[in-house]
Amino acid sequence: MPDQKAISTNQMQKTFKTRQGFWRRTTRVTEAVRDVTFEVNKGELFGLLGPNGAGKTTSVKMLSTLLLPTSGTITILGLDILRDTTEVRKRIGFTFGGARGLYGRLTAVENLRYFAELYAMEPALTRKRIPELLELVNLLDRGNDKVETYSSGMQQRLHLARALLHDPELIFLDEPTVGIDPVGARELRATIKELKARGKTILLTTHYMAEADELCDRIAIINKGRIIAMDTPAGMKSGMTSESVINLRTSNENLTALKAILSPIDGKATILCKENTVQSEVSIRTAHPSRVIEVISPWLNTDLIQTMEMRSQTLEDVYVAIIQNEEANG
Amino acid sequence: MGNFLRLALRQMDVQLRMRVLSLWSLGLFFTQPAIFSAVGMLLAHAAGNANPDLIYTVIGGGIMGMWSGLVFTSTFDIRADRREGTLELIVGSPTPLRRVVGFRSLLNILAGSTSMLAAVTAAVLIFDYSFAGINVPAVILSFALLLFGLWCMGIFLANLLAWSRLSGTFVDLLEMPIALLCGFMYPISVLPSWMQYISVVFPIRWSLQAMREAMRGTAANAELLSLWGISLGISLVFYLFSHWLDVKVHDHIRVTGELHSI
Ligand SMILES: Nc1ncnc2c1ncn2[C@@H]1O[C@H](COP(=O)(O)OP(=O)(O)OP(=O)(O)O)[C@@H](O)[C@H]1O
Ligand SMILES: [Mg+2]
Repeated sequence: MPDQKAISTNQMQKTFKTRQGFWRRTTRVTEAVRDVTFEVNKGELFGLLGPNGAGKTTSVKMLSTLLLPTSGTITILGLDILRDTTEVRKRIGFTFGGARGLYGRLTAVENLRYFAELYAMEPALTRKRIPELLELVNLLDRGNDKVETYSSGMQQRLHLARALLHDPELIFLDEPTVGIDPVGARELRATIKELKARGKTILLTTHYMAEADELCDRIAIINKGRIIAMDTPAGMKSGMTSESVINLRTSNENLTALKAILSPIDGKATILCKENTVQSEVSIRTAHPSRVIEVISPWLNTDLIQTMEMRSQTLEDVYVAIIQNEEANG
Repeated sequence: MGNFLRLALRQMDVQLRMRVLSLWSLGLFFTQPAIFSAVGMLLAHAAGNANPDLIYTVIGGGIMGMWSGLVFTSTFDIRADRREGTLELIVGSPTPLRRVVGFRSLLNILAGSTSMLAAVTAAVLIFDYSFAGINVPAVILSFALLLFGLWCMGIFLANLLAWSRLSGTFVDLLEMPIALLCGFMYPISVLPSWMQYISVVFPIRWSLQAMREAMRGTAANAELLSLWGISLGISLVFYLFSHWLDVKVHDHIRVTGELHSI
């Protein structure tokens, strides 16, 4: 099938039952993922965003055969995860954020060799792949050091190398850049783009909206186990009407005066004030930026407005708005 | 076949370096058996036996080392993998967990048999144990069956551990009772009869008995044959049960999400 999807889920659900207590046993039921239906095309880079506990990791684990869905169907690369589990495992790679998942007492090379064996890789291929991958994640010079001597960012990068060992078609990356320094994160994003350019399908989760915006072809926002928005990053930003954000900075004593000046635009903008120790920040989200500028321009060179900055809406603004809207509507 | 062997070697290599070659396991394999043997000797002396029965004291100490080594390493492994987050990665790979567990248990047992080797060496060098009258082929076969029985119990325990975190405590608690029930240091016949009944379910009880008989060189072939048969039969039951458990475990841990939790 040429139009085969890389991932296809239909009403995927996961309910955890945890028992607590010794004498009086109580069962707590957590609906971690409810009714999640989506598809990811081959070659696509798909982002899963959402607050802590939204169900991202649980979803990724179901898609990568590590958790069984309570109900619903999941098809990976045209294979059913329940019937063709082993075949799916051969063709996917995954990493989960954090420092666990490596043998600390072994070196990076030994770790990779061990996992290569679990994927039944030919020794000649393994010997060729390991230095390539260490090079890719910038660990070539530390390859023969024990992993317990690595920083958490280095371990995180080694995770990626491990996930790529058997050259999987579909890669799941759960918070791949968590704990990585800005330069390293930028390099890692470049690596992810490179993988996409080589035709890999990638599903990633992240808490960094700029990262999702930069990398993803499409994103889904998940909250309390449900998908509440799904679109391209551009579509998502324009979908929220073409709003702009104007940030003003003023001293704390002038805040009240500034608010008074802004009163004419009350109905046309959402105004958020934040009082810090020395300064206050006023953030105005509006679909009528010119009207706002008109109102504030006379005061621009006065003490009332110390700095002004205007930007178009970022994915983060949209994300925060969507999540806040969800919370408000229960 | 090449793949299979390579996987076996890699698993055993990692196991050896990660888990076996530590001070702690060396203590388990050598120090503990030495203490057991010494206490056994002292008790025998105290009971008035000038020449302690080396088969029970020294060999018993060796078995003790192998058994504790097996229980500790098989259960400790799974726990360590769970804690290190690697259990999830193993389960998520195309290689079945039972194969990984199988090879690792095999190495644990081979490493444990150094304990027996040490015990025998000590018996010969320090206590002038003589091999006169020993039925060598029968001892070797009994020892092989003992290893196989231990291996089957090892993979069974490992599966139990993979199934649930709670079972760890349970296995720890059973280590000594099973050692007592299997008559590592004394003849089974000294146990109260209800205990003897329980001990029949452990394959190693039978192969151990066969090994002692073979060392004495007095047992009739028919008797040895029946001991071997029983030991092999029960081992296979453990093996098949582990296999069944493995399938259950694979589903169970993916329902509860206990794969990655500590
Ligand atoms: N093994 C488990 N047993 C019981 N509940 C669980 C288990 N794993 C996850 N949960 C619950 O499922 C919900 C979703 O968790 P999940 O880890 O998928 O969130 P997440 O979106 O990945 O969050 P984060 O951004 O913090 O990583 C949470 O309420 C969590 O408490
Ligand atoms: Mg998560």
